[in-house]
Amino acid sequence: MISAHAKQTGFTLLEVIVALTITGMVLGGLFTLATGSKQLAFRSGTSLGTAIEARAAINFALLQDEYSNVEEILESSEFDIRGNDILEPVPRKTEAITFALQQFEVIDERTENIVSGTRWIRLELAE
Amino acid sequence: MKRHSGFTLIEIILSLALTALLLSLLSGGMYAVMNDWESNTDALDERLDETITILQIERALKGAFPHSYRDNSSLGRFVYFQGDDETLGWVSTVSPQRAGGLMAWQLESRSGEGVFLKLVPALSDNPEQRFDDIEATVLLPNYEAEFSYLYEELDFSKEWRDEWIGEEQNALPLAVHILLTPIDADDTRSINIVANIAANTHRDIRPSLSSDSGTPTPTRNTPFGGL
Repeated sequence: MISAHAKQTGFTLLEVIVALTITGMVLGGLFTLATGSKQLAFRSGTSLGTAIEARAAINFALLQDEYSNVEEILESSEFDIRGNDILEPVPRKTEAITFALQQFEVIDERTENIVSGTRWIRLELAE
Repeated sequence: MKRHSGFTLIEIILSLALTALLLSLLSGGMYAVMNDWESNTDALDERLDETITILQIERALKGAFPHSYRDNSSLGRFVYFQGDDETLGWVSTVSPQRAGGLMAWQLESRSGEGVFLKLVPALSDNPEQRFDDIEATVLLPNYEAEFSYLYEELDFSKEWRDEWIGEEQNALPLAVHILLTPIDADDTRSINIVANIAANTHRDIRPSLSSDSGTPTPTRNTPFGGL
C-alpha cells in the first residue's frame, strides 16, 4: 500500500508554486523592460522637440542683439537669450570696424541648461 | 488492488480548461503590451523623421544661393526666391540627392494635407515653370507651415514680412522663419524653424545681375568685408 502511494509521482504544491513564481518573475521582468523602453521612447521624443526648439532659439540669437532691432518671432519660447560681454578687439587694427564679437547664452528656463556661443554684432559707432 | 495508472477524463478536461484560461489571459496581456510597444516605436520613428526633415529644411535654407535667371520676355536678370506665407521657392547649394550643383526647392503648405516638396535642378531658366511639371512629394504630413522673411530697413531695423518676391528685391532675405502648426487640433505643440541665410554674410557671393552691363556690384558691409 505504501509502495503504491510512492509510485504516484505528480508535482507537489511547493514545486508548482516555485514554477509559477519563476514564470511570473520572468514575465514581470519582460513587462518592466517594455514599460522602461516606452518611457525612454517618450523621453527621446520630447528631447528631439527640445533640440529643435533650442536650434531655433540659437539661430535667432545669431540674428538678434542689442544693436540690431530684429522683430520677435518665436512665440512661447522657453529659451531665454542673454548677450554677455563684447570680446576685446584685436589691438593691431588698421581701419575702423563696426563689428565686434559678443558672447551669448541661450538658457533653457525649464532645465537651466545653458548653450553659449559667439556672434557678430554691428556697433553703432566704429571702434 | 486499484491502480492509479492515468488521469480521469474529468481531471484532463479540468486541467485543459485551466491551461486554456491561463494562456488566453497571458496572450491578452502580451497583445496589449505589444500593441503599446508598436505605437510607441511608431511615434518615435515619426518624431525622428520629422526632426531629420526639419533639420534638412533648415540646412537647405541656410545654404540658399542668390541664383539668377534671365527672363526671356523682359530680358532682365532676376534672383530666384519666391516666397509668400504658404509657398516658398528658392535655390540652394544643398541637394538632398547625391547629385552636385544647385537645386531649386519649393515648399508648399496645403491646408489640411501637410507640407509638400518639389525639387528641380537650378538651370539658367526660371525654375518656377519646371515646378509645374513635376509631382510634389509629401514632406511633413501632420503640419501646416507659415513662412516669413526677415527684411532689413534702411535704418538697420529688421522686420518679418510674409512675402518675398525675388524679382522685386533681387536679393535674398536675411533669414527665413517657418512656423509649423499641427493639423490635428488637439496637438498644440507648434515648431519654429529659423534659418539665417549664410550667403548674406559672405563678401563675394553676389547675384550676378550686372554682369551684362559690366557695372561692379557694391561690396556688402559684413564683418569680413574689409579684410
